[in-house]
Amino acid sequence: MLDATGTAGARVSPDVDSLVRAAQRGDQDAFEQLVRAYDQSVLRLAMNLLRSPEDARDVYQEAFLRVYRNLHAFRFDCSFHTWLYRIVTNICLDQLRKRKVRKEESAVVETSEGVIDRTDGYEEEAAAANPERMTWNRQLGQRIDDALEGLTPRERMVFELRHYQGLRLRNIGEILGTTEEAAKNCLFRATQKMRTRLGDLV
Amino acid sequence: MTCDAVRKLIPLYYYGELTPDEEDQAEAHTHECSACAREMESARALAAALDRRRMEAPASLLADCRADLAAAVRGAAAEPARKPWTLWLDAWGATLAGFTHWRQPLGAAALIAVGFFAAKLVPAGAGGVSTASFVPSEGVFVNVRSAQPDSNGRVRIAYDETRRREAYGTVDNQEIQKLLLAAAHEEDDPGVRVESVALLKDRAGSGEVRDALMNALLHDSNPGVRLKALEGLKPLAAEPPVRGALSQALQFDDNDAVRMQAVDLLTMRRDDAIVGMLQNLVQRDDNGYVRSKCEKALKEMNASIGTF
Repeated sequence: MLDATGTAGARVSPDVDSLVRAAQRGDQDAFEQLVRAYDQSVLRLAMNLLRSPEDARDVYQEAFLRVYRNLHAFRFDCSFHTWLYRIVTNICLDQLRKRKVRKEESAVVETSEGVIDRTDGYEEEAAAANPERMTWNRQLGQRIDDALEGLTPRERMVFELRHYQGLRLRNIGEILGTTEEAAKNCLFRATQKMRTRLGDLV
Repeated sequence: MTCDAVRKLIPLYYYGELTPDEEDQAEAHTHECSACAREMESARALAAALDRRRMEAPASLLADCRADLAAAVRGAAAEPARKPWTLWLDAWGATLAGFTHWRQPLGAAALIAVGFFAAKLVPAGAGGVSTASFVPSEGVFVNVRSAQPDSNGRVRIAYDETRRREAYGTVDNQEIQKLLLAAAHEEDDPGVRVESVALLKDRAGSGEVRDALMNALLHDSNPGVRLKALEGLKPLAAEPPVRGALSQALQFDDNDAVRMQAVDLLTMRRDDAIVGMLQNLVQRDDNGYVRSKCEKALKEMNASIGTF
Protein backbone atom coordinates (compact mmCIF):
# COMPACT_ATOMS: atom_id res chain seq x y z
CA MET A 1 0.00 0.00 0.00
CA LEU A 2 1.18 3.49 -0.71
CA ASP A 3 2.06 5.79 2.08
CA ALA A 4 0.68 9.17 1.15
CA THR A 5 1.08 11.03 4.40
CA GLY A 6 3.22 13.68 2.80
CA THR A 7 6.47 12.08 3.83
CA ALA A 8 6.12 9.44 1.15
CA GLY A 9 8.01 11.51 -1.40
CA ALA A 10 10.97 11.98 0.84
CA ARG A 11 11.47 8.24 0.78
CA VAL A 12 11.01 7.96 -3.02
CA SER A 13 8.98 4.83 -2.98
CA PRO A 14 9.65 2.57 -5.99
CA ASP A 15 5.89 2.00 -6.14
CA VAL A 16 5.33 5.68 -6.86
CA ASP A 17 7.97 5.71 -9.59
CA SER A 18 6.44 2.77 -11.36
CA LEU A 19 2.99 4.29 -11.05
CA VAL A 20 4.28 7.50 -12.63
CA ARG A 21 5.88 5.55 -15.48
CA ALA A 22 2.68 3.61 -16.03
CA ALA A 23 0.61 6.80 -16.01
CA GLN A 24 3.02 8.36 -18.50
CA ARG A 25 2.38 5.37 -20.77
CA GLY A 26 -1.33 6.02 -20.51
CA ASP A 27 -2.39 3.61 -17.78
CA GLN A 28 -5.60 5.04 -16.35
CA ASP A 29 -5.51 3.01 -13.15
CA ALA A 30 -2.02 4.25 -12.41
CA PHE A 31 -3.02 7.88 -12.79
CA GLU A 32 -6.01 7.38 -10.60
CA GLN A 33 -3.88 5.68 -7.95
CA LEU A 34 -1.36 8.51 -8.07
CA VAL A 35 -4.10 11.06 -7.51
CA ARG A 36 -5.60 9.04 -4.69
CA ALA A 37 -2.23 8.49 -3.05
CA TYR A 38 -1.58 12.20 -2.71
CA ASP A 39 -4.82 14.08 -2.97
CA GLN A 40 -5.72 13.96 0.71
CA SER A 41 -2.46 15.54 1.78
CA VAL A 42 -2.70 18.11 -1.02
CA LEU A 43 -6.21 19.06 0.05
CA ARG A 44 -5.19 19.23 3.72
CA LEU A 45 -2.28 21.54 2.85
CA ALA A 46 -4.53 23.86 0.82
CA MET A 47 -7.21 23.82 3.50
CA ASN A 48 -4.76 24.62 6.30
CA LEU A 49 -3.11 27.41 4.35
CA LEU A 50 -6.19 29.04 2.89
CA ARG A 51 -8.78 28.09 5.54
CA SER A 52 -11.51 28.05 2.94
CA PRO A 53 -13.05 24.92 1.41
CA GLU A 54 -13.82 26.75 -1.86
CA ASP A 55 -10.25 27.94 -2.28
CA ALA A 56 -8.88 24.53 -1.33
CA ARG A 57 -11.12 22.97 -3.96
CA ASP A 58 -9.76 25.34 -6.61
CA VAL A 59 -6.19 24.54 -5.63
CA TYR A 60 -6.86 20.80 -5.81
CA GLN A 61 -8.37 21.10 -9.25
CA GLU A 62 -5.70 23.32 -10.69
CA ALA A 63 -2.85 21.29 -9.20
CA PHE A 64 -3.98 17.90 -10.47
CA LEU A 65 -4.90 19.28 -13.88
CA ARG A 66 -1.39 20.67 -14.15
CA VAL A 67 -0.04 17.27 -13.14
CA TYR A 68 -2.22 15.64 -15.75
CA ARG A 69 -1.09 17.99 -18.49
CA ASN A 70 2.59 17.91 -17.64
CA LEU A 71 3.20 14.41 -16.38
CA HIS A 72 4.74 13.42 -19.71
CA ALA A 73 7.46 16.03 -19.08
CA PHE A 74 8.36 14.70 -15.60
CA ARG A 75 11.89 13.30 -15.86
CA PHE A 76 12.47 11.87 -12.35
CA ASP A 77 15.15 14.43 -11.48
CA CYS A 78 13.37 14.77 -8.12
CA SER A 79 10.76 12.62 -6.43
CA PHE A 80 7.21 12.77 -7.74
CA HIS A 81 6.13 14.07 -4.33
CA THR A 82 8.55 17.01 -4.58
CA TRP A 83 7.45 17.74 -8.14
CA LEU A 84 3.78 17.63 -7.14
CA TYR A 85 4.40 19.84 -4.10
CA ARG A 86 6.24 22.39 -6.26
CA ILE A 87 3.07 22.72 -8.28
CA VAL A 88 0.80 22.86 -5.24
CA THR A 89 2.91 25.32 -3.25
CA ASN A 90 3.20 27.65 -6.24
CA ILE A 91 -0.56 27.79 -6.60
CA CYS A 92 -1.06 28.30 -2.84
CA LEU A 93 1.63 31.01 -2.64
CA ASP A 94 -0.08 32.89 -5.47
CA GLN A 95 -3.35 32.73 -3.56
CA LEU A 96 -1.75 33.88 -0.31
CA ARG A 97 -0.04 36.79 -2.03
CA LYS A 98 -3.25 37.90 -3.70
CA ARG A 99 -5.01 37.78 -0.34
CA LYS A 100 -2.29 39.76 1.35
CA VAL A 101 -2.64 42.55 -1.19
CA ARG A 102 -6.41 42.57 -0.76
CA LYS A 103 -6.10 42.59 3.02
CA GLU A 104 -3.61 45.45 3.07
CA GLU A 105 -5.85 47.49 0.83
CA SER A 106 -8.69 47.28 3.32
CA ALA A 107 -6.75 47.24 6.61
CA VAL A 108 -7.25 50.89 7.54
CA VAL A 109 -10.52 51.79 9.21
CA GLU A 110 -11.80 55.18 10.17
CA THR A 111 -13.60 55.55 13.50
CA SER A 112 -14.78 58.66 15.26
CA GLU A 113 -11.55 58.47 17.27
CA GLY A 114 -9.54 58.86 14.06
CA VAL A 115 -7.97 56.41 11.66
CA ILE A 116 -6.88 53.15 13.21
CA ASP A 117 -5.18 50.14 11.75
CA ARG A 118 -7.61 47.28 11.92
CA THR A 119 -4.95 44.62 12.29
CA ASP A 120 -3.40 46.46 15.26
CA GLY A 121 -6.84 46.82 16.75
CA TYR A 122 -7.31 43.07 16.73
CA GLU A 123 -4.07 42.52 18.57
CA GLU A 124 -4.63 45.11 21.25
CA GLU A 125 -8.13 43.87 21.69
CA ALA A 126 -7.04 40.28 22.06
CA ALA A 127 -4.23 41.15 24.45
CA ALA A 128 -6.51 43.25 26.63
CA ALA A 129 -9.38 40.79 26.62
CA ASN A 130 -10.44 39.29 29.87
CA PRO A 131 -9.94 35.55 29.43
CA GLU A 132 -13.20 34.88 31.27
CA ARG A 133 -15.08 36.96 28.77
CA MET A 134 -14.94 34.35 26.07
CA THR A 135 -13.96 30.77 26.05
CA TRP A 136 -10.27 30.20 26.03
CA ASN A 137 -10.45 28.06 22.93
CA ARG A 138 -12.13 30.70 20.84
CA GLN A 139 -9.66 33.32 21.94
CA LEU A 140 -6.70 31.06 21.31
CA GLY A 141 -8.01 29.93 17.94
CA GLN A 142 -8.56 33.48 16.78
CA ARG A 143 -5.17 34.61 17.98
CA ILE A 144 -3.39 31.72 16.33
CA ASP A 145 -5.16 32.49 13.06
CA ASP A 146 -4.15 36.14 13.36
CA ALA A 147 -0.57 35.19 14.13
CA LEU A 148 -0.47 32.89 11.10
CA GLU A 149 -1.94 35.69 8.98
CA GLY A 150 0.88 37.92 10.16
CA LEU A 151 3.53 35.77 8.51
CA THR A 152 4.73 36.45 4.98
CA PRO A 153 3.36 33.95 2.43
CA ARG A 154 6.74 32.25 2.25
CA GLU A 155 7.17 32.02 6.03
CA ARG A 156 3.64 30.72 6.25
CA MET A 157 4.39 28.06 3.66
CA VAL A 158 7.61 26.88 5.33
CA PHE A 159 5.92 26.78 8.71
CA GLU A 160 2.94 24.89 7.31
CA LEU A 161 5.10 22.30 5.55
CA ARG A 162 7.30 21.76 8.60
CA HIS A 163 4.83 21.99 11.46
CA TYR A 164 1.61 20.62 10.01
CA GLN A 165 2.81 18.50 7.11
CA GLY A 166 5.90 17.18 8.87
CA LEU A 167 8.28 17.61 5.91
CA ARG A 168 12.02 17.93 6.52
CA LEU A 169 13.58 21.34 5.89
CA ARG A 170 15.85 19.89 3.20
CA ASN A 171 12.82 18.67 1.31
CA ILE A 172 11.01 21.98 1.87
CA GLY A 173 14.00 23.83 0.39
CA GLU A 174 13.88 21.56 -2.62
CA ILE A 175 10.14 22.11 -3.09
CA LEU A 176 10.41 25.89 -2.81
CA GLY A 177 13.50 26.06 -5.00
CA THR A 178 15.82 27.26 -2.27
CA THR A 179 18.48 25.88 0.10
CA GLU A 180 17.95 24.04 3.36
CA GLU A 181 19.69 26.94 5.08
CA ALA A 182 17.23 29.47 3.65
CA ALA A 183 14.31 27.27 4.68
CA LYS A 184 15.83 27.07 8.18
CA ASN A 185 16.08 30.86 8.43
CA CYS A 186 12.54 31.21 7.19
CA LEU A 187 11.25 28.75 9.79
CA PHE A 188 13.20 30.59 12.48
CA ARG A 189 11.66 33.94 11.51
CA ALA A 190 8.21 32.36 11.43
CA THR A 191 8.53 30.84 14.90
CA GLN A 192 9.95 34.10 16.28
CA LYS A 193 6.97 36.04 14.99
CA MET A 194 4.58 33.48 16.44
CA ARG A 195 6.38 33.67 19.78
CA THR A 196 6.12 37.44 19.83
CA ARG A 197 2.42 37.37 19.04
CA LEU A 198 1.43 34.38 21.13
CA GLY A 199 4.10 34.31 23.83
CA ASP A 200 1.76 35.38 26.63
CA LEU A 201 -0.52 32.42 25.96
CA VAL A 202 1.98 29.69 26.72
CA MET B 1 27.49 28.52 24.05
CA THR B 2 25.77 31.82 24.87
CA CYS B 3 22.07 32.15 25.71
CA ASP B 4 21.54 34.14 22.49
CA ALA B 5 23.03 31.38 20.38
CA VAL B 6 20.94 28.74 22.15
CA ARG B 7 17.72 30.69 21.68
CA LYS B 8 18.37 30.69 17.95
CA LEU B 9 18.56 26.90 18.02
CA ILE B 10 15.46 26.25 20.12
CA PRO B 11 12.82 26.20 17.35
CA LEU B 12 15.02 23.98 15.20
CA TYR B 13 15.70 21.76 18.22
CA TYR B 14 11.99 21.26 18.64
CA TYR B 15 11.62 20.18 15.01
CA GLY B 16 14.65 17.87 15.17
CA GLU B 17 16.46 19.93 12.54
CA LEU B 18 19.76 20.49 14.37
CA THR B 19 23.00 18.69 13.63
CA PRO B 20 23.94 16.16 16.36
CA ASP B 21 26.64 18.59 17.59
CA GLU B 22 24.25 21.53 17.84
CA GLU B 23 21.73 19.33 19.58
CA ASP B 24 24.29 18.26 22.21
CA GLN B 25 25.32 21.85 22.84
CA ALA B 26 21.73 23.04 23.18
CA GLU B 27 20.90 20.25 25.60
CA ALA B 28 24.03 20.83 27.69
CA HIS B 29 23.25 24.54 27.93
CA THR B 30 19.60 24.19 28.91
CA HIS B 31 20.62 21.70 31.55
CA GLU B 32 22.63 24.44 33.23
CA CYS B 33 20.57 27.52 32.37
CA SER B 34 17.05 27.67 33.77
CA ALA B 35 16.05 30.70 31.67
CA CYS B 36 16.83 28.85 28.43
CA ALA B 37 15.15 25.71 29.80
CA ARG B 38 11.99 27.76 30.32
CA GLU B 39 12.34 29.11 26.80
CA MET B 40 12.56 25.56 25.48
CA GLU B 41 9.47 24.60 27.46
CA SER B 42 7.44 27.52 26.15
CA ALA B 43 8.48 26.69 22.57
CA ARG B 44 7.10 23.22 23.18
CA ALA B 45 3.89 24.59 24.69
CA LEU B 46 3.42 26.96 21.75
CA ALA B 47 3.88 24.11 19.30
CA ALA B 48 1.31 22.06 21.22
CA ALA B 49 -1.17 24.96 21.06
CA LEU B 50 -0.55 25.31 17.33
CA ASP B 51 -1.18 21.60 16.88
CA ARG B 52 -4.74 22.13 18.00
CA ARG B 53 -5.30 24.46 15.08
CA ARG B 54 -4.72 21.70 12.53
CA MET B 55 -7.54 21.58 9.99
CA GLU B 56 -8.79 18.44 8.30
CA ALA B 57 -10.60 18.64 4.98
CA PRO B 58 -14.15 17.26 5.27
CA ALA B 59 -14.70 13.97 3.46
CA SER B 60 -17.43 15.46 1.28
CA LEU B 61 -14.97 18.10 0.05
CA LEU B 62 -12.55 15.39 -1.07
CA ALA B 63 -15.38 13.62 -2.90
CA ASP B 64 -16.37 16.89 -4.62
CA CYS B 65 -12.77 17.57 -5.61
CA ARG B 66 -12.43 14.13 -7.13
CA ALA B 67 -15.67 14.58 -9.06
CA ASP B 68 -14.48 17.98 -10.34
CA LEU B 69 -11.24 16.47 -11.52
CA ALA B 70 -12.96 13.54 -13.19
CA ALA B 71 -15.23 15.95 -15.04
CA ALA B 72 -12.35 18.17 -16.14
CA VAL B 73 -10.23 15.28 -17.27
CA ARG B 74 -13.20 13.90 -19.16
CA GLY B 75 -13.53 17.24 -20.92
CA ALA B 76 -9.87 17.17 -21.85
CA ALA B 77 -10.23 13.57 -22.91
CA ALA B 78 -12.51 14.59 -25.73
CA GLU B 79 -9.55 16.11 -27.52
CA PRO B 80 -9.29 14.23 -30.84
CA ALA B 81 -5.60 14.79 -31.61
CA ARG B 82 -4.29 12.30 -29.02
CA LYS B 83 -6.39 9.25 -29.39
CA PRO B 84 -4.72 6.71 -27.10
CA TRP B 85 -4.79 9.20 -24.24
CA THR B 86 -8.32 10.12 -25.09
CA LEU B 87 -9.56 6.62 -24.69
CA TRP B 88 -7.93 5.84 -21.38
CA LEU B 89 -8.65 9.22 -19.92
CA ASP B 90 -12.25 8.93 -20.89
CA ALA B 91 -12.38 5.55 -19.24
CA TRP B 92 -10.59 6.88 -16.21
CA GLY B 93 -12.95 9.81 -15.99
CA ALA B 94 -15.87 7.43 -16.12
CA THR B 95 -14.41 5.22 -13.39
CA LEU B 96 -13.70 8.12 -11.13
CA ALA B 97 -17.10 9.61 -11.76
CA GLY B 98 -18.64 6.27 -10.99
CA PHE B 99 -17.61 6.17 -7.39
CA THR B 100 -18.09 9.80 -6.54
CA HIS B 101 -21.40 11.51 -6.71
CA TRP B 102 -21.82 14.23 -9.30
CA ARG B 103 -22.90 17.31 -7.54
CA GLN B 104 -21.73 19.42 -10.43
CA PRO B 105 -21.81 17.17 -13.49
CA LEU B 106 -19.78 19.55 -15.63
CA GLY B 107 -19.61 23.00 -14.28
CA ALA B 108 -17.06 25.35 -12.89
CA ALA B 109 -14.56 22.53 -13.06
CA ALA B 110 -14.82 22.24 -16.78
CA LEU B 111 -14.16 25.94 -17.12
CA ILE B 112 -10.55 25.46 -16.12
CA ALA B 113 -10.13 22.78 -18.72
CA VAL B 114 -11.33 25.06 -21.48
CA GLY B 115 -8.15 27.09 -21.92
CA PHE B 116 -6.15 23.92 -22.35
CA PHE B 117 -8.76 22.27 -24.45
CA ALA B 118 -9.30 25.19 -26.77
CA ALA B 119 -5.61 25.86 -27.13
CA LYS B 120 -4.97 22.31 -28.22
CA LEU B 121 -7.94 22.19 -30.51
CA VAL B 122 -7.38 25.40 -32.37
CA PRO B 123 -3.87 25.19 -33.85
CA ALA B 124 -4.64 21.71 -35.15
CA GLY B 125 -6.69 23.48 -37.82
CA ALA B 126 -9.53 21.27 -36.74
CA GLY B 127 -9.55 19.34 -40.03
CA GLY B 128 -12.94 20.41 -41.22
CA VAL B 129 -14.47 20.42 -37.78
CA SER B 130 -16.68 23.45 -37.38
CA THR B 131 -15.06 24.81 -34.25
CA ALA B 132 -14.28 28.31 -35.44
CA SER B 133 -17.10 29.82 -33.45
CA PHE B 134 -15.96 27.91 -30.36
CA VAL B 135 -12.64 29.72 -30.15
CA PRO B 136 -13.13 32.17 -27.28
CA SER B 137 -12.33 35.62 -28.61
CA GLU B 138 -11.33 38.42 -26.31
CA GLY B 139 -14.08 39.30 -23.88
CA VAL B 140 -16.01 36.11 -24.44
CA PHE B 141 -15.94 33.43 -21.78
CA VAL B 142 -17.13 29.92 -22.34
CA ASN B 143 -18.24 27.39 -19.80
CA VAL B 144 -18.26 23.89 -21.23
CA ARG B 145 -21.28 21.89 -20.15
CA SER B 146 -20.54 18.65 -21.95
CA ALA B 147 -18.00 17.26 -24.37
CA GLN B 148 -18.72 14.02 -26.22
CA PRO B 149 -16.32 12.41 -28.72
CA ASP B 150 -17.97 10.41 -31.50
CA SER B 151 -16.59 7.48 -33.47
CA ASN B 152 -15.31 9.74 -36.33
CA GLY B 153 -12.87 11.48 -34.04
CA ARG B 154 -15.02 14.59 -33.87
CA VAL B 155 -16.32 16.18 -30.73
CA ARG B 156 -19.69 17.58 -29.83
CA ILE B 157 -19.47 20.35 -27.25
CA ALA B 158 -22.25 22.14 -25.45
CA TYR B 159 -21.17 25.38 -23.84
CA ASP B 160 -22.54 28.56 -22.34
CA GLU B 161 -21.08 31.80 -23.54
CA THR B 162 -20.65 34.94 -21.50
CA ARG B 163 -19.80 38.13 -23.34
CA ARG B 164 -17.94 40.98 -21.70
CA ARG B 165 -19.38 44.41 -22.36
CA GLU B 166 -18.57 47.80 -20.98
CA ALA B 167 -20.78 50.46 -19.54
CA TYR B 168 -19.31 53.90 -19.04
CA GLY B 169 -20.79 56.86 -17.25
CA THR B 170 -21.17 58.67 -13.94
CA VAL B 171 -22.50 56.99 -10.81
CA ASP B 172 -25.63 59.13 -11.13
CA ASN B 173 -26.46 57.45 -14.42
CA GLN B 174 -29.43 55.12 -13.87
CA GLU B 175 -27.97 52.28 -15.91
CA ILE B 176 -24.63 52.46 -14.13
CA GLN B 177 -26.36 52.55 -10.78
CA LYS B 178 -28.46 49.53 -11.69
CA LEU B 179 -25.33 47.57 -12.61
CA LEU B 180 -23.60 48.60 -9.40
CA LEU B 181 -26.60 47.60 -7.31
CA ALA B 182 -26.64 44.20 -8.98
CA ALA B 183 -22.89 43.78 -8.53
CA ALA B 184 -23.11 44.83 -4.88
CA HIS B 185 -25.07 41.77 -3.96
CA GLU B 186 -24.78 39.23 -6.73
CA GLU B 187 -21.16 39.23 -7.72
CA ASP B 188 -19.08 36.28 -6.45
CA ASP B 189 -15.86 38.24 -6.22
CA PRO B 190 -15.78 40.19 -2.93
CA GLY B 191 -13.34 42.65 -4.52
CA VAL B 192 -16.02 43.67 -7.03
CA ARG B 193 -18.63 43.91 -4.27
CA VAL B 194 -16.36 46.21 -2.24
CA GLU B 195 -15.80 48.45 -5.26
CA SER B 196 -19.49 48.55 -6.13
CA VAL B 197 -20.54 49.39 -2.60
CA ALA B 198 -17.74 51.99 -2.38
CA LEU B 199 -19.01 53.69 -5.54
CA LEU B 200 -22.61 53.60 -4.34
CA LYS B 201 -21.96 54.78 -0.82
CA ASP B 202 -22.01 58.48 -1.70
CA ARG B 203 -25.45 58.07 -3.27
CA ALA B 204 -27.08 56.67 -0.13
CA GLY B 205 -29.70 59.42 -0.35
CA SER B 206 -31.58 57.27 -2.85
CA GLY B 207 -33.80 54.73 -1.12
CA GLU B 208 -32.69 51.92 -3.39
CA VAL B 209 -29.01 52.55 -2.68
CA ARG B 210 -29.69 52.86 1.06
CA ASP B 211 -31.47 49.51 1.04
CA ALA B 212 -28.62 47.93 -0.89
CA LEU B 213 -26.12 49.27 1.65
CA MET B 214 -28.20 47.97 4.56
CA ASN B 215 -28.51 44.64 2.84
CA ALA B 216 -24.74 44.49 2.32
CA LEU B 217 -24.11 45.44 5.95
CA LEU B 218 -26.36 42.70 7.27
CA HIS B 219 -25.83 39.93 4.77
CA ASP B 220 -22.53 40.21 2.92
CA SER B 221 -20.09 37.49 3.92
CA ASN B 222 -17.07 39.72 3.37
CA PRO B 223 -16.16 42.18 6.18
CA GLY B 224 -14.53 44.58 3.69
CA VAL B 225 -17.87 44.96 1.93
CA ARG B 226 -19.71 45.42 5.23
CA LEU B 227 -17.26 48.15 6.28
CA LYS B 228 -17.75 50.02 3.01
CA ALA B 229 -21.52 49.76 3.48
CA LEU B 230 -21.13 51.27 6.96
CA GLU B 231 -19.24 54.22 5.53
CA GLY B 232 -22.09 54.85 3.14
CA LEU B 233 -24.68 54.67 5.92
CA LYS B 234 -22.83 57.19 8.09
CA PRO B 235 -24.79 60.27 6.93
CA LEU B 236 -28.03 58.36 7.45
CA ALA B 237 -27.25 57.15 10.96
CA ALA B 238 -30.23 59.08 12.36
CA GLU B 239 -32.83 57.25 10.24
CA PRO B 240 -34.74 54.56 12.16
CA PRO B 241 -34.34 51.73 9.60
CA VAL B 242 -30.61 52.44 9.37
CA ARG B 243 -30.32 52.49 13.16
CA GLY B 244 -32.05 49.10 13.22
CA ALA B 245 -29.49 47.69 10.80
CA LEU B 246 -26.63 49.26 12.78
CA SER B 247 -27.94 47.72 16.00
CA GLN B 248 -28.13 44.33 14.34
CA ALA B 249 -24.55 44.66 13.11
CA LEU B 250 -23.34 45.84 16.52
CA GLN B 251 -24.91 42.90 18.29
CA PHE B 252 -24.32 40.09 15.84
CA ASP B 253 -21.48 40.85 13.44
CA ASP B 254 -18.49 38.63 14.22
CA ASN B 255 -16.01 41.13 12.85
CA ASP B 256 -14.49 43.53 15.39
CA ALA B 257 -13.92 46.37 12.94
CA VAL B 258 -17.56 46.26 11.82
CA ARG B 259 -18.81 46.40 15.41
CA MET B 260 -16.38 49.22 16.22
CA GLN B 261 -17.72 51.27 13.31
CA ALA B 262 -21.32 50.41 14.16
CA VAL B 263 -20.97 51.51 17.78
CA ASP B 264 -19.43 54.79 16.65
CA LEU B 265 -22.30 55.54 14.32
CA LEU B 266 -24.98 54.54 16.82
CA THR B 267 -23.56 56.59 19.69
CA MET B 268 -22.96 59.75 17.66
CA ARG B 269 -26.24 61.02 19.07
CA ARG B 270 -28.11 60.44 22.29
CA ASP B 271 -30.70 57.70 21.91
CA ASP B 272 -32.47 56.31 24.95
CA ALA B 273 -33.88 53.45 22.89
CA ILE B 274 -30.49 51.76 22.73
CA VAL B 275 -29.65 51.92 26.46
CA GLY B 276 -30.60 48.27 27.07
CA MET B 277 -28.49 47.08 24.17
CA LEU B 278 -25.49 49.15 25.30
CA GLN B 279 -25.75 47.83 28.86
CA ASN B 280 -25.83 44.34 27.52
CA LEU B 281 -22.79 44.92 25.29
CA VAL B 282 -20.73 46.45 28.12
CA GLN B 283 -21.05 43.06 29.77
CA ARG B 284 -20.53 40.70 26.91
CA ASP B 285 -18.85 42.18 23.82
CA ASP B 286 -15.46 40.61 23.12
CA ASN B 287 -13.95 43.84 21.92
CA GLY B 288 -12.46 46.33 24.38
CA TYR B 289 -13.11 49.34 22.15
CA VAL B 290 -16.78 48.44 21.74
CA ARG B 291 -17.19 47.96 25.49
CA SER B 292 -15.54 51.26 26.37
CA LYS B 293 -17.52 53.10 23.73
CA CYS B 294 -20.79 51.67 25.08
CA GLU B 295 -19.76 52.57 28.61
CA LYS B 296 -18.94 56.14 27.58
CA ALA B 297 -22.28 56.57 25.80
CA LEU B 298 -24.15 55.24 28.83
CA LYS B 299 -22.34 57.66 31.12
CA GLU B 300 -23.19 60.57 28.84
CA MET B 301 -26.83 59.57 29.04
CA ASN B 302 -26.55 59.23 32.82
CA ALA B 303 -27.66 55.63 32.46
CA SER B 304 -26.28 52.93 34.69
CA ILE B 305 -23.53 50.76 33.28
CA GLY B 306 -24.87 47.46 34.50
CA THR B 307 -28.33 45.99 34.02
CA PHE B 308 -28.59 44.63 37.58
